[in-house]
This record gives sequence, structure tokens and C-alpha cells, in this order.
Amino acid sequence: MEMTGEYRIEASRQKVWDALNDPEILKQSIPGCEEIERISDTELAAKVVAKVGPVKAKFSGQVTISDLDPPNSYRISGEGKGGAAGFAKGGANISLKSDGEATILSYEVDATVGGKLAQLGARLIDGTAKKMAGDFFKNFAEVVTEDADLYSAEKLNEVDTNEINHGINTSTRSKISISSWIIGLILAAAVILAIIVY
Amino acid sequence: MPTVSMTVNGENVSSEVEPRTLLVQYLRENLGLTGTHVGCDTSQCGACVVHVNGKSAKSCTMLAVQAEGSEVSTIEGLADGDTLHPMQEAFRENHGLQCGFCTPGMVMSAIDLVQTNSNPSEQDVREWLEGNLCRCTGYHNIVKSILAGAKTMQG
Amino acid sequence: MTETNIGAPVKRVEDKRFLTGRGRYTDDLNQPNQLYASILRSPHAHANLKKVDVSQAKAAPGVIDIFTGSDMAADEVGSLPCGWQIHSKDGSPMNEPGHPPMAVSKVRHVGDQVAIVIAETKSQARDAMEQIAVDYEVLPAAVNMDEALSGKALVHDDVPNNMCFDWEIGDKEATENSFSDAHKVVSIELINNRLIPNAMEPRAAVAQFDPSSGNYTLHTTTQNPHVIRLLMGAFVLQIPEHKLRIISHDVGGGFGSKIFHYAEEAILTWASAKVSQPIKWTAERSESFVTDAHGRDHETKADLALDKDGKFLGLRVSTKANIGAYLSTFGSSVPTYLYGTLLAGVYKTPAIYCEVKTVFTNTVPVDAYRGAGRPECTYLLERLVDKAAKETGIDPVEIRRINMIQPDQFPYQTPVALQYDVGDYPKAFETALKASDYEGFSSRREKSEGNGKKRGIGISTYIEACGIAPSAVAGALGARAGLYESAQVRVHPTGSVTLYTGTHNHGQGHETTFAQIVSDTLGIAFDQVEVSHGDTGEVQFGMGTYGSRSLAVGGPAVLKACNKIIDKAKKIAAHILEASEADIDFKDGVFSVSGTDRELAFGEVSLAAYVPHNYPIEELEPGLDENAFYDPLNFSFPAGCHICEVEIDPETGEVEVTDFTAVDDIGRVINPMIVEGQVQGGVAQGIGQALMEGCVYDKEGQLLTGSYMDYTMPRADNLPNLNVSTESVLGASNPLEVKGVGEVGSIGAPPAVINAILDALSSLGVEDISMPASPSKVWQAIHNA
Repeated sequence: MEMTGEYRIEASRQKVWDALNDPEILKQSIPGCEEIERISDTELAAKVVAKVGPVKAKFSGQVTISDLDPPNSYRISGEGKGGAAGFAKGGANISLKSDGEATILSYEVDATVGGKLAQLGARLIDGTAKKMAGDFFKNFAEVVTEDADLYSAEKLNEVDTNEINHGINTSTRSKISISSWIIGLILAAAVILAIIVY
Repeated sequence: MPTVSMTVNGENVSSEVEPRTLLVQYLRENLGLTGTHVGCDTSQCGACVVHVNGKSAKSCTMLAVQAEGSEVSTIEGLADGDTLHPMQEAFRENHGLQCGFCTPGMVMSAIDLVQTNSNPSEQDVREWLEGNLCRCTGYHNIVKSILAGAKTMQG
Repeated sequence: MTETNIGAPVKRVEDKRFLTGRGRYTDDLNQPNQLYASILRSPHAHANLKKVDVSQAKAAPGVIDIFTGSDMAADEVGSLPCGWQIHSKDGSPMNEPGHPPMAVSKVRHVGDQVAIVIAETKSQARDAMEQIAVDYEVLPAAVNMDEALSGKALVHDDVPNNMCFDWEIGDKEATENSFSDAHKVVSIELINNRLIPNAMEPRAAVAQFDPSSGNYTLHTTTQNPHVIRLLMGAFVLQIPEHKLRIISHDVGGGFGSKIFHYAEEAILTWASAKVSQPIKWTAERSESFVTDAHGRDHETKADLALDKDGKFLGLRVSTKANIGAYLSTFGSSVPTYLYGTLLAGVYKTPAIYCEVKTVFTNTVPVDAYRGAGRPECTYLLERLVDKAAKETGIDPVEIRRINMIQPDQFPYQTPVALQYDVGDYPKAFETALKASDYEGFSSRREKSEGNGKKRGIGISTYIEACGIAPSAVAGALGARAGLYESAQVRVHPTGSVTLYTGTHNHGQGHETTFAQIVSDTLGIAFDQVEVSHGDTGEVQFGMGTYGSRSLAVGGPAVLKACNKIIDKAKKIAAHILEASEADIDFKDGVFSVSGTDRELAFGEVSLAAYVPHNYPIEELEPGLDENAFYDPLNFSFPAGCHICEVEIDPETGEVEVTDFTAVDDIGRVINPMIVEGQVQGGVAQGIGQALMEGCVYDKEGQLLTGSYMDYTMPRADNLPNLNVSTESVLGASNPLEVKGVGEVGSIGAPPAVINAILDALSSLGVEDISMPASPSKVWQAIHNA
């Protein structure tokens, strides 16, 4: 799966860059995130549990940041292993460009899923990932330009089970960052997988 | 583990089950009613169709605990001693089965159709069977069986 | 003819247990102290297995043990064997890389076995499986055939360019010459879409080892238990056959996919001795999609040379066949001797040459699926004939008529090895034209046009070589097994009979048709015959059921055993009736002395055989129990004509099959009700291939059509009523005069459907469409034309 897009964010390039690199935001942002560990300056490991009704699946994900050119661009890539469930991996090239006071964020995403995830969920994941990417960048733009109060715990864990039950996970209303988008993809995969497989 | 109680083919049953136990697992593994089959894991094939409170339901799509207090009937409960239910008899008469794997689901589904629509047309039958897969018969004789079974059930 | 004799539409005896939920499918069976297995499978199409860490999973609740490919390798477990050796053009044997039941150093397709978890409950096994940590080094995958042939990614390191073999059949020079003489050459390129068989019962196995006797018992969903015993016992696990029993009671459909010796059978049997407890494994449908052998998957270019009158002069075929990641049990025979040898079809084409490159890819192994090679051949031929009709301006009916082999030309030697024994192709053809009201098509088309629809009619003829096979012929062509069949007729003292057949019933109704043969031949009541199959502990031997062989090869074995019973019984009757054996007549179950009223009923003779008080004991053993092996003299050759009519909505591209007519010559019909059912089922699978079914891998080798949400199975509302009949010429290659019926539908139907679609769309300029002709594809074709 491949997709590209652009967002205009009403904040300076440096501010956007900083926000993109804040792992603490990630942890709070990802529903079901059990832990995020910074392995090195460019590597993060995360464990995400997706739980829908009686169904639970745990995904462990690794995210690597590369091709760093602050505050212009970087590549983020990640892989989530769901054991017997399969895997999801992907990457995004992110670049920031000043546009007066604002910043234009462009992204090119490529992602693949494998094993049962691909077998059962590939076509759902496509749509989900697109929706999530859209939601993410929309939210991200809001976060960067709005009040930090938005990071309230209740809101972060809000999950709309109706939508999940339809296989479209729009639960990432919480404010997440680029890195967490990859983890979000993995999470979406886990949720979809959980619904379909079990 | 929660306890689940229901009536299956007219008998009261009650067991402790893991909450994640599906109704079909409960029927097959706990009660030994292996006439209800599992043909897929995405609720598409209909081999597991049983009746819950008189309506057809895919027992792979329900948890056992969701059937708490229900009246469940399975293929094993249809015949009266040696006398087949008219729908079973119609399948036998019209060669409506080959390998027999989808058959219990087909028969249970067909009975629900006739209970809902006592005089179905061929098209009604074909559309009703949307949720039941058969790989052997090409459906020709299944449709014929159900139309014949519907007539006998009426008569 | 009585109501149960040969030729009568006897209701099936097996139905009652299926209709009351009392079938004995493998997953219905449980053994005391049974454990459950889950199998961890590769999520990658191609990867080195760097480390499989089972330590955490082993500690999970309920886990008894976990094994990997290395554990099996340490026990010197063998490779899953291939039963047919093909030689390439240059005489070299096919590349036959190892096929370990569980991957040892490398996984080669999504779904390849990595580890088996054995636990007390099914959920514990599955939960623990999640905790196995596998370190894969992902490698580039060879997914499509061209990519594979480029050799950039090697599925097996020792197979250059992933070429399993490069085979040929026919006279290349004569064929080339026919093209130089041609008035017209018609060419076609097409794909025979990859299919997933999808028998409704997922595969399952229950393996049991008895430490006190050292005996193994494996219940498994197979079409041929004795073959599994031979392959698994002799080649994989080195268990002598007398210590290994394979049982396959009721099997929920096979269609070829349950012929093969699958890895799970060997893994479970081996593991059951390791843990000394019975183990059960049942595939989830998701596992079936990535482990049951797939079918078809050919890419073909072909040219037909014609003279100025439209007579076929020569046929040249070049095919690439995908064999998947490993050689499955009969994978190599399908794109070769079950394909190239049928390219004459029912036509008099004098020169034929065919070459087939068979290619390993990082996909599920490809093997026989209902029809196996013959649908691929028929699709190619009948598409090409229709194209020739169009390009020469000769009517599709007429071009077939002028090229068809005539009834007085039998036995007919084709240029591709086979000799057709008997047939009347024009008869089935003309009957089908009448039955489909071919003449009246134009008025139906007009009516459809009036409703804004496009209507088309398509014809396909076909020939099939089945009743596989004379062992000597098969052996000369590379088969590593004999292909005879066996039967045992055990007459009990009071005259009832148990028939043991080496064929396997998984929906075909053998328990009924074989009982008809016995009852008719021995003149005893139908309900006095019981048919037993599917247990190597009961049945002396068998080669199983595939290739429409059960009746054509297994049937004569039954007949032969019955005749041995009659011969012996005549001797007994002669003794008791104090007559010479030559004077004993046998008719309708009664032995009589010719020209007298002295007679004995069948039951009286059988009783005398077991209570031999008045018995020719000096020359005859007591008892009445005979076995027979039958090896046929030739293949049998069912043939026929299928005609399909479609109506297409040009706005949506949706194709409705409005009518389907099949007229088949299948030789003698034992039970017409069952015959019709077999044809209907086959036709439905053929229509499925033409319109709906298609297996799709992405470029990384992930299966995208991996569930019933994405792999479209024909449903009741996709199909019409099917107009099925027979126009039989009795078979000449076996004493039952039968030919075989199981595969005819899936062979004849696909080209009839596609030819009908192309006929419907030809006025819009559409010249080609590939299978499956889904609405989107049809719509695209209309808009691109």
C-alpha cells in the first residue's frame, strides 16, 4: 500500500519538528499502549494491546528514525510482529517546508502487511490506514496549533467500539505523532485481525 | 468460568465454559453434537447453522454465553426417531447432498426459510441460501430439495 | 431391471447419517487423553529461519511440548515425496528439491510450517503459539512465473532459474511443417487462473501412537488412505506398513485437494510418538487457504494452423505452469501427462506439439484440482477453436463439425500419445445443440437486446482421459506407483455381503453405486450389501479416489471379485445339487441345474460354505470371501459438449448464466441420479472458475484472496438450474463399460462460459476476456473496446 499527502500546519517548522519527535506524547496517545521504550536516539520499541470485547491481541512494534535532516525531513520506519497473526511493516518519508508562518508537512507512506493480517485484513487495512493517516495529520495539525489541554487521559483512551466493529478503526482521535502513526497502523491491524480471526 | 444454561434439542443443559467459547464449540466439544460443522472462520459458509429460539443462526458467530436461557435446536434434534423431518426427507429424495458437510446447515437454514415463507419460489430459495456454501452439488438439487420440503412441510 | 439394479436411480444409503448429523468426519472423532495441536506458519513468502525461540511458549499453561523442523530433522524424518517423475526435453530428470514437513532453514511460502504446539486444549495450544518468537531474515520472493524464471530469487538454492522441468510432447517437426502449409494461423494467449479447491470440510488429523504395540493410527481427511500409508510410512517416517493404520471415514469433499500427502499428517504422526498421547489438529479455514494445494495456474501461448476449408492442420502450444514452492504429491503430472496428452480434444488435428516449463514460486504448492490438467487443456483448445471460427468466418458449430473425429475412426490414435478407444462425439454434440435450443438463440438474443442486455451463447466440447490408468503405461510415463484398484467381497454365512473397496467415498455415493453393482451381480437384495472403505486396517489395498477413477478402475475390481464368488459358489452348488459344475446356471441369486427344477438360493450356498457338512472339501476351501485386483487396459475417455448462454448487463458488467446444457458421454450409467449430481457439481465449479474464482498474491507473495470474504465461491444465487443429460456410448476399456463422470463438469464448463461472454460482447468489439470474468473486468472490457 502506498499513499502520499500534504498538510498545512499553522505553526513554525521548528515547533512541528519538535512535536514530531516527542515520544512521551506517543505513549499517552496510543490507545492500549503498554509501554514505549527509547532504545536509542533513533529507535523506539512499543507494546500495544488491542482489546475489543472478549478479544485481545498484543503487538510489539519497533520504530526506527533515519535519514535525519532536522528540521527538514526524516524517514520513519517500523515493524510490528503479531506472532502467529503476522506482521505489519512500513515507513514514511516526512518533509517539512516553511510557508510563511506556517509549515507544509508532506508525507509518502509505504506499508505492507503479511501472514494472516494480509490474508484476512489486507483490504480493510488499506482503507483503515488511509483513514488513520488522514485523522492523524488532521489531529497533529490541531495539536501543534492548539492548547496542550487536549491531552487529557480520558480522551486519549476513547475508543468507538461501533466503528471498530465495522472494521474501520477511527479510534485515533487522540493526538498522536508521526511515529505513533506507524504504531497506529500496527494497532489497526491488530484490532482488525482480532475482529476477523478470533 | 461462567456457567451457561440452555435447552438443546429439548433437553436442559448447563456447563461451565470459558467466556470465549463459541456456541458451535460448545455444541460440538462440550455436548458432543458433532452434526453442526465448522467450515470457515469468517462466518461465511453456514455449515454451523442451528436454530436459536426457532430462528436460524450461525453458531460460529455467537458465544455460548449469548445463548444463555435460549432454546437451541440442531440437526440431531430434527428427526422423530427413525422418521426424518420432511426437509431431511426432501434432501434424501432429491439428492440434495453429496459429501454431507454443508448439509446440516443447509437443512436448518431451509427450515427457517419455510417457517418464514411457507411457499418460497426458486428465486426466494436461492437468495435465502446466500449465507450457505456448498461445493459439491452446484445447488441445483439443494434448491429442488428445499422446494419439495417446503411443500411437504405445508401439506 | 429392479429398483436397485445397475442403471436405477437408487436413493443414497449414506444420506441418512449425514442428514441426521451422524457423519463421522475426522474432526468429529476424539480419543481418550487426546491433546490438541496448533501449527505456527510462516507469515513470509520467503525467508531464512534464523531462530525459532519456543522457550516462553513452552512454559505457557497447558503446553505439553513444542517441536520445530530441527527436531524432525534430528530424527531423520524424510522429505514429502512426489509421486510422478517427469523428464525434461533434454532427458534430465525434473529438479526435485527436498520438502521437509516443517521448515528447517528456510520458509518458502506464506503458510509453510514452522512449529507445532501441543497442549491440553485447543485454546491453550493457540495461545502458546502466539508466544513463539521467530527470527526471520526476509528474502526477496519469486511470486509470478516470469519473475521466477529470471532466477533473481531462488525458491530452492539448488534449482537454477526455479525451473522444475522443461517438458515436451508431440512431433515438433511435423507440427512446424503443418504451419508452413497453413492457409491461416490463429493465435491466442491466455491464463488459466489459479484456484483454491475449498472442499467445505477443512483438513484435519488425529494421530495416535500405542507404545505397547508400537502401532500408529492416523485418522485423516484423505481421498486415498493406502497411498498416504505408503508415502508417509516408507518415505517420510520410516514406519513399516503393518505398524501404521490410516483411517479416513467421512470426508467432506476433496476435489483433488485431499489426494496429497500433507505435512501435517507426518508431523502429527511423528509427534504422537514423541508425547505418547493422541493429538488432534483441525485446520482453520485460514490455514486451508494457505496450505491446501492450489489448482491450475497456467500461462499459455498457442497457435492453430488451418487449411482453406477450416480444417485443423497443426497445433503448437507453449505453457508455463506454476508448481508453487514445493512439488506436491502429483503436482508434476498435472501440467504434463494430464494436460499435453489431451490437446487433440475431439478433433482430428494431425500434428500437435506442446512444451511446458514448470516453475517453482514462493506460493502454495499447486497440484490436481477437479479436472487436473484437462480443464487447462480444454479451455485453451475451445477458446482457440472459437477464435479460429471468428477469424475464418466459419460458424463455431460448423468448424467443430468439420474437424470432429467420426464414430467410424475408433480406435483413434492421437498425435499426443493417447489412443481413444470408443466414442461418438458428433452425437453428443448434436444432442447438446438440440437440448440447448441453439437454433432458437437469435430470438432470445433479440429479446435480451430489447431489455438493454447483451446475450451470448458459447460452446465447448471436451475429451477427458480418466480411469487413471494402466499401471504399465503410467509407469512408463514416470508414475512411481501402480494405478490399479482392489476389491474384496466378503459373503457372510447367511448370504449378506460386505464389500471392501480401495477407492474412497467423499461425496460420490460409492456406498450406493458399488452396492448396486454387487447386488445386481450376485442377485441379492440391495440392503444386504454394505460397502466399507477408507480404513487400511479393513481394506486390503487401494489407490484411492481421484481422476474419475473409482468406478472405471474400482468398479471392475468389484465385478471381478463378485465373479470369483459366483465361480466358487457354482462349485459348491454343483456338489450339493449333485450335478456337474458346467450344468449349473446362476441367475438372480439362484443356482440351478440346467433343465431341472433343482436349485439353491444364494444364502443356502453361502451357508454351506461356512457350515461345510456337505461340501467338496477335498477340492475346495470353506468360506466365501474373494478379492480381486484390476488394472485397466487403457484410460477411459468420457467426452461431451457443454453449451452456456449468458446475459450481460453492459451498464454493470454483470454476467448472468441464464442456461447451461451439458450432454456427456460417460459410458454405462450405474445410478443416473448420482451422475446428474456429479455433473451439476462439476459445472458449478467450472462456472466458478470462469466467473468468480481467482487466487491473487501480492508482489511480496502474500495471499490476498485468503478467506471467503475475498475468494469468491459460487453461491446458490449465482447459478441457474443446470440442464444435464447423458448420451453414452458404452466404454470399451473395462468390463463394466463405464468411463467416469466426476470431472466432466469442471472441464467442459469454463470455455463454454467464456465463449458465451465473448459472443455476447463481440458486437461491442470485445475480443478477449480473462477468467474470472468478474463484473469489473467485463465492464472494463466493454469500455476499453
